[in-house]
Amino acid sequence: MSRLEGRKNEQLRTTHIKYEGLDRVDGSARFGFGETESLASVSGPIEVRPNSESPSQATLEVHIRPLAAIAGTDSKALSATLKSILIPALLLSQHPRTLVQIVGQALCGSESGAGYGSAGRGWHASLVASLINACSAALVNASSVPMKGVVCAVAIGRLRDPSSSLSSPTLVLDPSEAELSRLVGGGCFAFMFSSTLSKPLQSDADVPSSSLLWTNYTAMGGAFGDAEFEEARQLAENGATLVWQSFKDSLQNGQVSRPATELKKKALDEEPVDDEKMEI
Amino acid sequence: MAAASASAPSTSTANTTEKETLKALTFQRLHPRAYLERFLAEQVRSDGREPGEWRDVSVNVGSISTADGSALVRLGNTTVVCGVKAEIAEPELDKPEEGFLVPNLDLPAICSPKFKPGPPSEEAQVLSDRLNEILLSSGVISTSSLCIEAGKAVWVLYVDATCINYDGNALDATLIAMVSALQNTRLPKATYNEETGRTTCTRKAMIPLQINRLPLATSFGVFDSAKILADPTAFEEPLLDTTFTVVLDERGELISVAQLGLGVVGSHNILTNCVSAARTRCSQLRSHVYKTL
Repeated sequence: MSRLEGRKNEQLRTTHIKYEGLDRVDGSARFGFGETESLASVSGPIEVRPNSESPSQATLEVHIRPLAAIAGTDSKALSATLKSILIPALLLSQHPRTLVQIVGQALCGSESGAGYGSAGRGWHASLVASLINACSAALVNASSVPMKGVVCAVAIGRLRDPSSSLSSPTLVLDPSEAELSRLVGGGCFAFMFSSTLSKPLQSDADVPSSSLLWTNYTAMGGAFGDAEFEEARQLAENGATLVWQSFKDSLQNGQVSRPATELKKKALDEEPVDDEKMEI
Repeated sequence: MAAASASAPSTSTANTTEKETLKALTFQRLHPRAYLERFLAEQVRSDGREPGEWRDVSVNVGSISTADGSALVRLGNTTVVCGVKAEIAEPELDKPEEGFLVPNLDLPAICSPKFKPGPPSEEAQVLSDRLNEILLSSGVISTSSLCIEAGKAVWVLYVDATCINYDGNALDATLIAMVSALQNTRLPKATYNEETGRTTCTRKAMIPLQINRLPLATSFGVFDSAKILADPTAFEEPLLDTTFTVVLDERGELISVAQLGLGVVGSHNILTNCVSAARTRCSQLRSHVYKTL
């Protein structure tokens, strides 16, 4: 066990979900793995500009903003990825000729998101995972766009053993900002949880079945084998299930570790609807 | 239509074949999905390939004399030209010994009606970002080898690729073009003068870059949750539910695995299949793509 905070390799940091109740949007949520936090808002279905109107389905727009500076190519690329991740989870054909707009804002870190590109320190996998989760939570919170499932994401890091550089790296779930410098690659895994997917044989009755939706698993300056990838995928799937459960908890009792505020109550009222949506 | 005019024995048959082709083209345009489904039912793709078959690759290195290194790659009908331009710059303060590698892919309106003139399209930005990620993470060139004088001067390599004909799978083609162009790059020997604070280059000694690894990307698409199509064309790309990209190095080891789209039932078998197909493809391709090794 060589992690900085004394976490186990397959342990997530404390996750927190807070329904912000931003006034001018239809739904919003803040999601954090420890200090890696993101805020997302959803508006829609709203009026669409004529040039992006589609006669068969709603247009999805995703904007991602870094903590500092203006959105660069890296944010644009991330927006496009997030869009393709969220599309399979949404039933956009239900509202043709409309627009669903999602804005994600990174809320963390001095090193986060300032023009380093996704390969650099900027959009590290944990931050991307928190953005994906914030977007999903905001969509559930808005509950104005019909959903097929909920997308939950976690990051996997390849942690190099400082004592011997030759041994294969250890896989850790949800690397923290402090661990980033010690990583030799890794990636983000996004899963869709939905009961419309076929169930595996030995499944937990409580958790709907999940399927891998996106990954960008990469080794930095090294290589990995099929077995390692499979291990990473498995580790990520377990982690994503934990995220899904914390989603469900946040909707069922609304009382996430923090004291409930006025705005929180609002989110509480919508709860039964949201919960149903998740069970679809 | 070209085939019809070449082998037309009489005008009437020429007309019928022409009409048939036109009918097929209309059908393709109006019902692309059904068009592809009918082909795949016969285990063949609309360009005559089998589902798992790849397109031919040809690489032409050093064709642009004004660039420091260049390559032209054709993957089927997809054509990408890539040039490397070297400049001298000051390094970042926190990384005094590291040079810069700046890859960029341009998808101009000339390469396909899909792209409009104007600022870089979303697709171009996504591809550029992924190429940057692959080049950096695989360590094709270590940025520290681009150092001229620590803290004072380093090389910046602009790796600019332009697509001249877009027929799908631009990522694979561009990665080959970029790596080949880097292989082809020769930098003048540069020395930093402490007193004047300037860097001087001599054209007499041209040094090749130190290439550490040769990544190859292989992309697959999944159509209709079941059929794996290797190396998808521009016609097939928008119809795919899921795409996989497997990046391998010269020893056939995995550098990166990317999946976008819902992994269907037994998806992980699909992924394993893709990885082994990628290995076979890379071992065939490597010898003639990166032949200067």
